[in-house]
Amino acid sequence: MNKLLQDKKAICIFVVPGLLLFTFVLFIPICQSIFYSLCDYDALTPPKFIGIKNYISLLHDDTMKIALKNSMFFLVFSCVTQLIMGLLLAGLLTNIQKGRNFFKNVIYLPCVLSSAALGLLWMFIFSPKLGINQLLLTKGITGPLWLMDTKGFITLPMWVIGFVALWQYVGQSMMLYMAQISGISKSLYEASAIDGCSKAQSFRYITLPLIKPMVGTAMSLNAIGSLKFFDLIFNMTEGGPNHTTEVLATHLYTQGFKYFKYGYASAIGVVLLILCLIMTALINNVFKTDQYES
Amino acid sequence: MNQKTKRISVPKILIYAFLCIMVAIYLVPLLWVFSVSFKTNAEIFSSPFSLPESLFIDNYVVAWTAGKLGIATWNSFLVCVITLILSMLIGSMIAFAIARMQWKLSGLTLTYFMLGMMIPVHCVLIPLFTRFAKIGLSNNLWGLVLPYLTFSLPVTIYIMTGFFRSLPNELLEAACIDGCSIYKIFFQVCLPLAKTGLFVTGLMTFVANWNELLLAMVFISDDNIKTLPVSLSKFVGPYNTNYSQMFAAIIIAIVPTIVVYCAFSNQIVDGLTAGAVKG
Amino acid sequence: MKKKLLSILLSATMALTAFAGCGASGSDSGSASSGGSSSGAEEITWMFWDDLNATEDMISLGYKDVLERFNKDYEGVYHVTPITTNLEEYYTKLNALVASGETPDCFIVSPGPNLTTYVEPGVAADLTSYLDADGWKDTFTSDSVFTQQTYDGKIYAVPLNIAAACVFYNTEMFDKAGVEVPKTYDELLDACKKLKDAGYTPITISAGTAWCLSMLCAYLMDREGVDLAAMEAGDESWVNDKTIDAANKMLELSQYFQPTAAGDTNDVATAAFYNEEAAILIQGSWAIGQINGSNPAFEEKCGVFQFPALEGGNDPNRLIAKSDSLAMSANTEHPEAVIALMKYFTDDTAQKYTAEKGGKIPVTKVEYDAAAAPAQLAYVMDIFENASGTFGFLNESLKTTEAGSFFDDQMVATYLGSETPEEAFKTIEQWYVDNIR
Repeated sequence: MNKLLQDKKAICIFVVPGLLLFTFVLFIPICQSIFYSLCDYDALTPPKFIGIKNYISLLHDDTMKIALKNSMFFLVFSCVTQLIMGLLLAGLLTNIQKGRNFFKNVIYLPCVLSSAALGLLWMFIFSPKLGINQLLLTKGITGPLWLMDTKGFITLPMWVIGFVALWQYVGQSMMLYMAQISGISKSLYEASAIDGCSKAQSFRYITLPLIKPMVGTAMSLNAIGSLKFFDLIFNMTEGGPNHTTEVLATHLYTQGFKYFKYGYASAIGVVLLILCLIMTALINNVFKTDQYES
Repeated sequence: MNQKTKRISVPKILIYAFLCIMVAIYLVPLLWVFSVSFKTNAEIFSSPFSLPESLFIDNYVVAWTAGKLGIATWNSFLVCVITLILSMLIGSMIAFAIARMQWKLSGLTLTYFMLGMMIPVHCVLIPLFTRFAKIGLSNNLWGLVLPYLTFSLPVTIYIMTGFFRSLPNELLEAACIDGCSIYKIFFQVCLPLAKTGLFVTGLMTFVANWNELLLAMVFISDDNIKTLPVSLSKFVGPYNTNYSQMFAAIIIAIVPTIVVYCAFSNQIVDGLTAGAVKG
Repeated sequence: MKKKLLSILLSATMALTAFAGCGASGSDSGSASSGGSSSGAEEITWMFWDDLNATEDMISLGYKDVLERFNKDYEGVYHVTPITTNLEEYYTKLNALVASGETPDCFIVSPGPNLTTYVEPGVAADLTSYLDADGWKDTFTSDSVFTQQTYDGKIYAVPLNIAAACVFYNTEMFDKAGVEVPKTYDELLDACKKLKDAGYTPITISAGTAWCLSMLCAYLMDREGVDLAAMEAGDESWVNDKTIDAANKMLELSQYFQPTAAGDTNDVATAAFYNEEAAILIQGSWAIGQINGSNPAFEEKCGVFQFPALEGGNDPNRLIAKSDSLAMSANTEHPEAVIALMKYFTDDTAQKYTAEKGGKIPVTKVEYDAAAAPAQLAYVMDIFENASGTFGFLNESLKTTEAGSFFDDQMVATYLGSETPEEAFKTIEQWYVDNIR
């Protein structure tokens, strides 16, 4: 038995294909990316080492500041709204019997649809002449330019895109919380009911503490997802007007594949990578310690 | 009148009312686009919210042929199926080796693969693009399969490792006594028992790759091998003003998924949630 | 069990092979406008920024005709296959091909910094000797059409046609509002006011596609008499009375833009013009092909005038002009085939088509039937022939493509009110100090 499980040849056969793939398509490119971020490199000439110059120009890049601001906005917005809406929906759905599957499945539906297609769909719904503004016009209201406004610290289009992202992905948070809630033993609730707890109280004192680890999971999914955010923005505004809806991923795309500043775009990629690592570590830490305390 | 008998259900009514509003928010946009996709451009502006007067299917014909969405659907299907098969095969082989076989570096290997989960695809976009261009993998569907496969490995390995670890030891011992080779144990004993795991990971891989836009957009420029999200974005992109055709294109792009989803919604939702919990 | 496994493996392998075949055949099949390649012919590729099978643009359709003629006439000798993308991702894909050593044998490129990026690393071939060889160069209207394509006395690209930026207007709306064609900036403001009072949207413009708005600024700056070369070289600051005044005039005009200008793309803004939702469109004359292709009935209502003068300003007869040009890969294995193809683009048939159907200004001394040409072309030709000088689009004539984009973005920011004109030009000045000088 042990001899069989220590078979070196079999282990190699099992592991090597994936290992090679992983190394060549992920690990080496990451290292290359870090190297490129230290180079002056455009599409047509070979990379030239320039030290941290790209990172210094990142500090002076106004679009980068907007992109960082918007990415952070998405991070906070999606973590908060998905937590609230996800919990609310999960709480409501676990309390009903009839039609639970129907509601659950409808709300989850956009999670499996292409965000490129949904981005376009919402782009039309929020466009100046179609959709919502057409509807408002029948009531005699001239709607705002949902995706073109540029006023304010967080511009209107960002809120709109944030809403669409919530619409698309809240199903996932909802399902995660539902899975966790339905895993809580019924007897706990029964006991609390005997002790005279109201539904709200049992939610506060039983459900919330017990789903805390899942909050961590859902949040890190949201956080990483919103940092990587690309499809919806690309198809709804393409970062415009005048870069006010640019996020890190779209800025990277523009710099890399419109201006061919591969080195500079790689630097943005490295920043994105670091942010992802920090967020994962942060969320894991916060929710791990909590778990131990309780 | 019968307030007393219905007292318990008043909150229920509120819950149902709220959920119905939610369902409306989810379905109305989709239904609206579906209905306008059968209108002519003029009709969209004159009567946007009524049902289409007649079914104007020219929009679909144009989107399917000139928009090349037909070819794109096929390309997407090819890429996703190949990636699916390969990732299940390679991923569960590694997971089996890590979970069941005895070697020193298994823990380290798992960590190495898990690191991949935290890495956003954007970071490797440029090196991959330049490298693939040099070796003829850009503008080639294999150039998409490789990164898709790689990025689906971590989650596959993670979930499958869990499944293989949960198999009882006695099972392997029994197979061993029967004189099975290690390959037979893997392919014929363990793999069939981890069907649920394969389903979950396969589903996650398929959905993620079916909808992937960024890599496909950067790597593929030939219209005949573009995948669905790319063809759609390019067809509907900023260079068109023919709205009804674009709505038809959007519908073409999402209908296959909706049909499959309707047929297997419970399994899909539960499978994806299980995957997300474990990942 | 074993059999089942085997059959699964087998079918998987089959799928893989089928797939590999598809990938391979996919990579070399471009658009299908070619008449099938004949064996033994020299194969060349030609890269272009519009989908030849889906386009409604008359100029693009003309290019498609040229390829078909070429493939037919040279059957068995040469064969060209087009590689098409859309305009937005054109340079991305071209650069990817260049980087992978698969530079298309012949590719379209905008003159200015775009062409420079291919000339400097030696990607584009020197075409001077071919042009001089058999009197090809003499068929062109004058040597000056090559100005933007010449580096150190060597010509690196062949222009195909010229487009000039003019002001297009809806004659019907002008009549109804009682507006005359404006000759000066003040008259333009007055005309806009009257149009607005008559219930029309006076101007449709795109700030979503930044260069469209920037083109208006470029015209205003030129009419103010801004010395662009001096500012580029650093002899003069971007912050001066003339530039700021130009930006303020743009803001003054902006009250007459369509309300969605901030986000409308070029195509949406142009569509608003030919769908008769707005009275004035400031655009390059390539728009003629787009306008007449999309709404043929509009042709007779569409008038053209020259961008108005500023009282006390610079010469009002200067025009923004641009050409589409073809470059040849320095590594092509079939230079003769490429040159033969280029000659098809500049022969009489193609150039006649350019004028009569496409509505762009031909580059050769071709005789064309002015009556057959779009009505708008005659006006554009008038303006073009009276022009005292031309200058490029700023996004194509500033030092680098990025400088052009940066300028465009600052103009959009000014329009959106996130910067004052002074701030905008200060930012540009600073950017030049940091990146160019």
